[in-house]
Amino acid sequence: MLNILLKKLIKTSAGRIRFVMAVMGLSVALLLIFSAVQIEADYYDLLRSKNNQDSIANFLVVNKAVTNKTVGATTLSDAEITDLKKQQFTDAVGLLTSCHFKVSAESLSERIPFYSDIFFESVPDEFIDVKTDAWKWDANSDYIPMIVPNMFLDMYNFGFATSQDLPQLTQELVKNLPVQINIKTPLGRVNYYGKVVGFSDRISSVLVPQPFMEWANAKFGTIQNAKSSRIVIRTKDPGNPALTAYLKKNGLTTDADKTRFSKYRRVVDFVVNLSWITGAVMLLFALLIFTLFIQLTIASCKDEIMLLVTLGAAPKQLQQFLMKQFFPSNIIISVIVLVLIALLQFLLQQFLYRQGMYVSPLISLFTIGTAAIILLVLWVVNKWSIKNYVYETT
Amino acid sequence: MQIELQKIIPVPLKDKFAQRGSDVWNKELRFLEREWIKLKAPSGTGKTTLVHIIYKLRSDYEGNVLWDNNNLRSIASNELAKMRQQYISIVFQDLRLFPNLTAKENIELNRVLQKPIYESRAIEVMAARLNISHILQQRAALCSYGEQQRIAIIRALVQPFEWLIMDEPFSHLDEENIKRASGLIAEECDKRNAGFVITDLEDDTHFHYTKQLNL
Repeated sequence: MLNILLKKLIKTSAGRIRFVMAVMGLSVALLLIFSAVQIEADYYDLLRSKNNQDSIANFLVVNKAVTNKTVGATTLSDAEITDLKKQQFTDAVGLLTSCHFKVSAESLSERIPFYSDIFFESVPDEFIDVKTDAWKWDANSDYIPMIVPNMFLDMYNFGFATSQDLPQLTQELVKNLPVQINIKTPLGRVNYYGKVVGFSDRISSVLVPQPFMEWANAKFGTIQNAKSSRIVIRTKDPGNPALTAYLKKNGLTTDADKTRFSKYRRVVDFVVNLSWITGAVMLLFALLIFTLFIQLTIASCKDEIMLLVTLGAAPKQLQQFLMKQFFPSNIIISVIVLVLIALLQFLLQQFLYRQGMYVSPLISLFTIGTAAIILLVLWVVNKWSIKNYVYETT
Repeated sequence: MQIELQKIIPVPLKDKFAQRGSDVWNKELRFLEREWIKLKAPSGTGKTTLVHIIYKLRSDYEGNVLWDNNNLRSIASNELAKMRQQYISIVFQDLRLFPNLTAKENIELNRVLQKPIYESRAIEVMAARLNISHILQQRAALCSYGEQQRIAIIRALVQPFEWLIMDEPFSHLDEENIKRASGLIAEECDKRNAGFVITDLEDDTHFHYTKQLNL
């Protein structure tokens, strides 16, 4: 009953146009801010989610760029490696150990004859994406497992074999091909028996097990204390612009394809920043208009409010009443915008799914959290201006 | 609740009142519970000023007004509202109705401003007694002054109070209506064991006053 009478006395129609403007401003502002948060959440979703974990994306082989200045001096110093380890984008660093002896490989098969000088590198097992039981080395046996890049086979099949009229090879065939490994030592050649046990996209090198490499370098090595010139790092986000910037600053290079996300990331960052800054500015203006609207409403009912207080209405009662008049519109706007964002998110999920990318079909908790925080801010501003203007009037 | 006036004198009227003898201005005065007090004074001697000071509508005065030992000057706005809802009711000389609300709505507002003590029906009963049933649904602005005066009286009577302050409440009523109104007021004050302060220009016998003061 009291509210019905108060509604007759305190009319909120005085600033109808201002109110509509404030509502529109607030809607757009919230839309921009929530989208910014949601896009950011989606990006991290794409990056972190197990479903998207692309084996090549998370490991980068890094080395110094070979330029006229660095020719012959591409080894990485301990200081450089320690510094790289300290960067926040680095999860782990593995050194690629090169071999300090000369190696050649030749085919034992008469059907597919070949001979080539080759090289070995090794890296701790945790950085290798090929998981097989054959990846084992024993000092007592003369068997050496190898992992070669997919690219090697592709180059052979589509470049070399076609131009030389040689048969193309499947991965399975190569795995079954026995290879004789010759290691040159000061005392002459030592023969081993090798086999390709897997193909990898991660490290473009011929990999052998780390224990074999250490053993062989100690036994046959002709160069002592050689330093690594290539390392592999594990990172959560190869698209992190900080990583690309760091590499560039230190004259390091990596597979450009793997950091291609960096460009997308910068675009996403730009859009997100633009969106939320615009949103924040608009929110500020919307708040201002809301405050003015409240002020106007109270000012236009000044006489009524004063008489109400004279008759015994408590300022608190009036504030509660006014709060009920103004604040629900804010809640309604927030909910509508959230629903809209949820709808857009669902459509985005459908779209990305068709592109083979997976994001959640549901709105992010961060977006909902942001909505809650903004509502709290709106509540405080509403409450504050009502209190201020009611006290000013009475 | 007691009302205590400690040597109050309005600042703008200080010089004017200093030369004249008064029972109220610049005196120590105590209105005890359930006292029915008549303040008589000619025009321009500060009746309305006094009423406004007691009701805390103005504070440009010297001295102190205490409501149950609470100095009016230091009472906070929400506490003041509570006092006006529960302990002090008022009929203004200028009535102060909301012109755009109906007579009924004006009264209803004061009934529901706090936890109501009367049903809405009580308004119709009182209106019937004061002969204004027919204008209850009419906008207050369209009512005659005499009708507005009776609306204001009923509005003051539908809320709880221990003190009723009335500033020339019968100025536009005829003898018959004054009789009806004073009868209703006396009844409502008796019901609540409440006291009242009434101001008027002349002596009268509308109530059995316990105290008559000259301003």
